Amino acid sequence: MSIALKELWRQPQRFLPVWVALTLLVVLLVILAGFLDGLSRSQTGPYRAYDGDVFVLSDDANLQVQRSRVSADALTDQGLDDVADVGFLDAAFTVAAVEGTATGNTSSDNSDDGTNLQDVALYGYSMSSSVLPHAPDAGEVVVDKQLTRQIDVEVGDRLVLGPSAEPMTVAAIVDDLSAGAPTLWVNGDEWRRLVGTINPALLPPSGQHLALIAQPGADIKASTVVEQVDQIDGLEAADVADMIGALSVVQQQNATFTAIIGVTFVVSLLVVALFFALITLEQTRLYAVFKALGATTRELLTGISVQAVVLTLIALAVGMAISAVLVAALPPTLPVRVLPTRLLEVAVGLLVTSVIGGLLTARRLLRIDPASSIG
Amino acid sequence: MSALDLKDVRKVYGDGDQKVVALDNVSLSVADNEMLFIMGPSGSGKTTLLTVAGGLLQATSGSVVVGGTDISGFDGRELAAFRRDRIGFVFQAVNLVPFLTARENLLLVRQFGGGKIDTDARDRADSLLTDLGLADRAGNLPSQLSGGQQQRVAIGRALMNEPPLVLVDEPTSSLDSELGQQVMELLTKEIKSRGLAAVVVTHDDRILDFADRIVQIVDGKLTSDSSDNSSASPSGR
Repeated sequence: MSIALKELWRQPQRFLPVWVALTLLVVLLVILAGFLDGLSRSQTGPYRAYDGDVFVLSDDANLQVQRSRVSADALTDQGLDDVADVGFLDAAFTVAAVEGTATGNTSSDNSDDGTNLQDVALYGYSMSSSVLPHAPDAGEVVVDKQLTRQIDVEVGDRLVLGPSAEPMTVAAIVDDLSAGAPTLWVNGDEWRRLVGTINPALLPPSGQHLALIAQPGADIKASTVVEQVDQIDGLEAADVADMIGALSVVQQQNATFTAIIGVTFVVSLLVVALFFALITLEQTRLYAVFKALGATTRELLTGISVQAVVLTLIALAVGMAISAVLVAALPPTLPVRVLPTRLLEVAVGLLVTSVIGGLLTARRLLRIDPASSIG
Repeated sequence: MSALDLKDVRKVYGDGDQKVVALDNVSLSVADNEMLFIMGPSGSGKTTLLTVAGGLLQATSGSVVVGGTDISGFDGRELAAFRRDRIGFVFQAVNLVPFLTARENLLLVRQFGGGKIDTDARDRADSLLTDLGLADRAGNLPSQLSGGQQQRVAIGRALMNEPPLVLVDEPTSSLDSELGQQVMELLTKEIKSRGLAAVVVTHDDRILDFADRIVQIVDGKLTSDSSDNSSASPSGR
């Protein structure tokens, strides 16, 4: 093993090509993983706002909030002891602008072309969470940070919503809860009033909501509440993870990015395998001498694996540092989010593929005849 | 007990029309403390003889006994351990590891087979390098050494594990006459002072005086055996 490390240390130029390739692949993997998580996050804010709670929808909605209609008292009538609190969630899409600046067509970013209207998702809610404050009073709206990145808005500013430019005062700014667009949060009555002016066809019948939120009691798992609610005729329940997983846009994004990341891992494996295959060809004589002096094929393979691991570790360190700089330089409107757990997955995945790539030289090493060291 | 006993050793490459008999019923014995030289034309089988004796190739038939151990039935792993512990090789092309220092090249053979570099190993490497006149070159890479110095490091590596048998392939082929003589004097001194046996394959008539015995090989067969060559030594051995 120390022989392999000494070769790395004393002949670094020999390993430079594979190290550079691996470093670039690390950057690509980290950025791809960042987009995967960033895009997922940008679609799922309202679900994450109720992390740990249970979403209750009509059982014909396939866990899609927009298709669901649930009676406001669907849970309170059931006397579920494991549910500590019940709230509701209603949603509709509209446009918003800072009062007095609403000009031009809608835009998803704050471009300098005179466009000030923003596509937004308008949510009506009743129950606070670790992210959301108590539902604001009439005429007030809670906005998420994503909107503040796109238009210059602060607490106390006045927004106008919808085609009829309903005026609302910003009561609070909360963490990014994007749902494909910045989100605005109002109380239930205000939501019905505003949606009534935007598009009355979207309004659920009186006494119904798109979804209910059930907060499990102390020490009660969300899965327990899900099981209980699923027993109720006409209702279907899901925890936050299942709600996010049921979103077709998230499924498509995950499938696409997972495929790209998988291909990148395969490319990494091929890069390492080809490099060590070439190194083995180049050093056939040296390996034959090692074998003649008593080295086993397993010892030679171990040496190659150690070199692959060390090269990958250095590539990971440098590649992640470069990625951090690149991510910091990206515009804040790009949905990139680098999670430590994802970095760990990238690191472990790349280490495994590198070791496998190195081990693919086994057949070539086995074929090296120690007798070729003589003559 | 002989250092090396070959009995009716036959080595055949290929089969059918492609069959080549490299060694044809060779029987040979090398005593402890003996330096045996093998001479012969190219393709005569002398290198094959060396590789079979050193456990680099298995004989097609016959027995190969080194230091009392019959290696004829050894598998690849057993042969690797045998070569590591019982054979010292000095290769024609020197074959030092280019990224290891002279000292590390000696210690190399101790690292295979799960071995560890302990104080004894370091002391032995230093002692060998001193004996070989390379104490001040211990930290140099092969590229920083002359051809003669590299050959001396190779001799040190062959002796590192204190093998009973040292196999030497064309030790002077890449050296001029003077350097060749120096290397052979040093090799002979180290072999003899340790009471080891050595088999030297060579084309070089100028170094035959260092042999205790010379055998000729032609077409895979031993054809002559000069059993008393010691009086011809120019070094007065």
